[in-house]
Amino acid sequence: MGGARRPPRRLVGNWVGVVPFFVFAGLFLIGPTLILAYRSLEGADGSLTLDNYRAITSPLVIQAYGASIRLSLVTALIGGLVGFGLAWAISMGGLGKSIRSGTSTFSGVASNFAGVPLAAAFIFTLGRIGAITSLFEFLGVDLYATGFSLYSFWGLTIVYLYFQIPLMVLVILPALDGLKRDWREAAENLGATTGQYWRHIAFPVLLPSVLGTMILLFGNAFGAHATAYALTGGSIPLATLLIGQQISGDVLNNPGLGYAIAMGMVFIMAGSILIYSLLQRRSERWLR
Amino acid sequence: MKKYAVGAVLALIVGACGGSSTTTAAPGTTGAPGTTGASGSMDDLIAAAEGEGVVTTIALPLDWCNYGGMIEGFEAKYNVDENGLDRGGGSAEELEAISANKDNPGPAAPDVVDIGLAFGPQAKADGLIQPYMVATWDEIPESAKDAEGYWYGDYYGVLAFEVNKTEVATSPADWADLLKADYNGQVALSGDPLTSNAAILSVWAAGVSAMPDGTVQEQAEAGLDFFKQLNDAGNFVPIDGDSRTVGIGETPILIDYNYNSKANAIALAGNPEIDTVVPASGIMAGMYTQAISAYAPHPNAAKLWEEYLYSDEGQLKYAEGFCYPIRYDTMLADGKIPAEVVAELPSTEGALFPTLAELEEAKGYVVAGWPQVVGVTVDTSPSG
Amino acid sequence: MVAVTISTAPIQAAAEAPAPVELQKKNRLGAWIVFGLVAIYFLLPLAATFWWSLRALKDQYTLEAYRRLFADSNFLPAFTQSLVNAAVAILLSLLIIMPTAYWVTLRMPRLRPVIEFITLLPFVIPGVVLVFGLIRLYSRPPLVLTHTYDSSRILLVCAYAALSFPYMYRAVDNGLRAMDVRSLTEAAQSLGASWPTILRRVIFPNLRVALLSGALLTFAIVIGELTIALFLAQKTFGPYMAELTRSKVYEPSAMAIVAFAITWAAMGMIALITRPRKEK
Repeated sequence: MGGARRPPRRLVGNWVGVVPFFVFAGLFLIGPTLILAYRSLEGADGSLTLDNYRAITSPLVIQAYGASIRLSLVTALIGGLVGFGLAWAISMGGLGKSIRSGTSTFSGVASNFAGVPLAAAFIFTLGRIGAITSLFEFLGVDLYATGFSLYSFWGLTIVYLYFQIPLMVLVILPALDGLKRDWREAAENLGATTGQYWRHIAFPVLLPSVLGTMILLFGNAFGAHATAYALTGGSIPLATLLIGQQISGDVLNNPGLGYAIAMGMVFIMAGSILIYSLLQRRSERWLR
Repeated sequence: MKKYAVGAVLALIVGACGGSSTTTAAPGTTGAPGTTGASGSMDDLIAAAEGEGVVTTIALPLDWCNYGGMIEGFEAKYNVDENGLDRGGGSAEELEAISANKDNPGPAAPDVVDIGLAFGPQAKADGLIQPYMVATWDEIPESAKDAEGYWYGDYYGVLAFEVNKTEVATSPADWADLLKADYNGQVALSGDPLTSNAAILSVWAAGVSAMPDGTVQEQAEAGLDFFKQLNDAGNFVPIDGDSRTVGIGETPILIDYNYNSKANAIALAGNPEIDTVVPASGIMAGMYTQAISAYAPHPNAAKLWEEYLYSDEGQLKYAEGFCYPIRYDTMLADGKIPAEVVAELPSTEGALFPTLAELEEAKGYVVAGWPQVVGVTVDTSPSG
Repeated sequence: MVAVTISTAPIQAAAEAPAPVELQKKNRLGAWIVFGLVAIYFLLPLAATFWWSLRALKDQYTLEAYRRLFADSNFLPAFTQSLVNAAVAILLSLLIIMPTAYWVTLRMPRLRPVIEFITLLPFVIPGVVLVFGLIRLYSRPPLVLTHTYDSSRILLVCAYAALSFPYMYRAVDNGLRAMDVRSLTEAAQSLGASWPTILRRVIFPNLRVALLSGALLTFAIVIGELTIALFLAQKTFGPYMAELTRSKVYEPSAMAIVAFAITWAAMGMIALITRPRKEK
């Protein structure tokens, strides 16, 4: 590929290597999203309009979005706190290297274990005839009579945490590792207690990372479909399930609205990823 | 997965451009299978169907009326694969799938549907199905088919109690028994009474048992009242039960069709033991109907499938699944059903075979009344 | 901020601060408690599922559920389809990402943020939204890919490849940063190698570990994927598992254990091959 006409060839040649990537991304990532965006702005008569977005006040949609947001917030919060605790325990709790690497690997597995197998595993644990439900019955407590149900909001929360907690662990571990030892030693030398160390040094440094990762967790739960589908089949209104039902049949009686709520999801996800990367950038200043 | 012949692909494109073709045997004929040609024969249909290579079905559980055996037999006899969508779906979902895929004639678009009797007329009115008269059309009772050939009954059964013998010591013998304290937290419906044919029939059947001589309205209201009592007593489990939930003990007593109960008993092989009890009163017969989608991507394969279902071989498969094939009376008279198969079918003596009008009336009262009278939402998640 | 707070810490606290050894012990107890509780939450469902999977036959513990699972006539075809889909998606992803990352590192560093942004799109577009868009985009002329099973499958595999971009790109990018791409390329060029040769003989061998971990991650994602396969009416492992869970009593528990074992194997391999090397 030697050439005499260097400058013009360089311009074209430079792009040749990345064209396949852009074409592929255009065809299978950007294109599908753009068509949804375009259709979401299309009115019944074909004109450009925001009516479809205004129609997002329909009760079915509000219910689904509201439930999704609640579920994502709760699992992000609980998952974030528990995940942080676990990450702390295995990195600074003096539990040993094998515990840390074992937990790390398990976290990688569990964060990918979402979907049908996870739903199945919890049905056999906390379903009406699950092992734990039966254990409670053995102890004289009828779990389902108390109003608890795996196939409800809190049931979904418990299941979602199975991949939320590991995600938190995986992402926050490097941040915890980044807490320089010298800071801890310096603090101790100056007489700070553990509490003071955490309150004045560690938490402030970690906060952007922790918040950012929690927002990542929020997005992760918000966009989840497979686990919710496998567990509830759509009986609990969630935004992803609603979109799925819209694909299978016009349950909203308004195709434009369907595209709008799909785009709405994209906006929320994009927002969460954006905030996450901004916060990550802030924390990187300290933890590099 | 069978590879598509080039011809099949061309046929699809042509079909998609040209819109759906409606074919009917001329009314009044003894139903030679219609094809897109002028005068088709069975061989032409087979050739055309095998050219298409696949028939897409929907909502056909393999253990429902021996559909597993039916599919096996069909695939063995013809070079056409069965592509089964959403095996757990209900009648409403089947019709939704047709309309959602009107412009998308791909593997997600159903060719044929098997829907409750009450859903046929609506599907026809909505333009979702196309008429076709199988070769054995005349042997289908008048009351079980649409005069113009849009939908046609394929099998029927009676509602029964499917009982998990590990969880239940004495099986209930009739509807009134279900209210006994012994069955606390054990009784469930096999669907959502707001959308499922079987569940609606169950509610009505309970009412028929209470008021055998009442009007449809009185019976429907009596049925709703029964379920209110069942729920208040704590005996009702508000989840959509199926063979699986009975098997694992979530819904030890399930009101479902007798054929599902018997098939489940065999599948579970005694772990646990399943008892199938047809109630002493309020015996309700439920019928399902076949129809070909108006937008079927593989119309010839669909027609061949229907021919197979209504052939002696196909109807016998239904019987082996403990369902009454729609041609039962004529086939029995012709000695085409083995005695041991007949023995396994439940007695239909005293059973109520609702007409379409009665069915629609009952459906109206049950669906409207359930939220008011009973007020319990049945959890229809597949795993609950 | 950090400096200020340290200097204002009271000096008397030095006397009151607990001795380092006792602090460590308290830490460790707390850590064990946290670890223990969380471990129970994670291991319980696995244990319960495993226990269920052994009870297919009445009053005995057998592997019957597993036998029935593997004997199911639909199991192997679905699993094989998913395997093939995964392999092709990985290959596709590799063939696209590797040259792209290489090119960007070497020739167009200004494009890096753009490329990185695009590779993050799978996190922004949920699977259910992506398949919605794919169906709408490819069900009408001029690009018709949803009208046959096989063409839908092509669409599926391409979607999987696109979904693997974040992992592949990150892996390859990390791998490229670890090697001195520029010098290696210049050396190869001075020896007269063409671009394809450089990619194939110089870059690829050095990226093997990175590519392998990207491939394993992609495999884990593709093998059980449900959403996209479901709406494209594909007979892959994800929809198969969903149908199994809906219809059978004991086999789903065996299936969940098998799925977990497969994911564990994939992740374990990644952990193994990406172990930090002894040499610094």
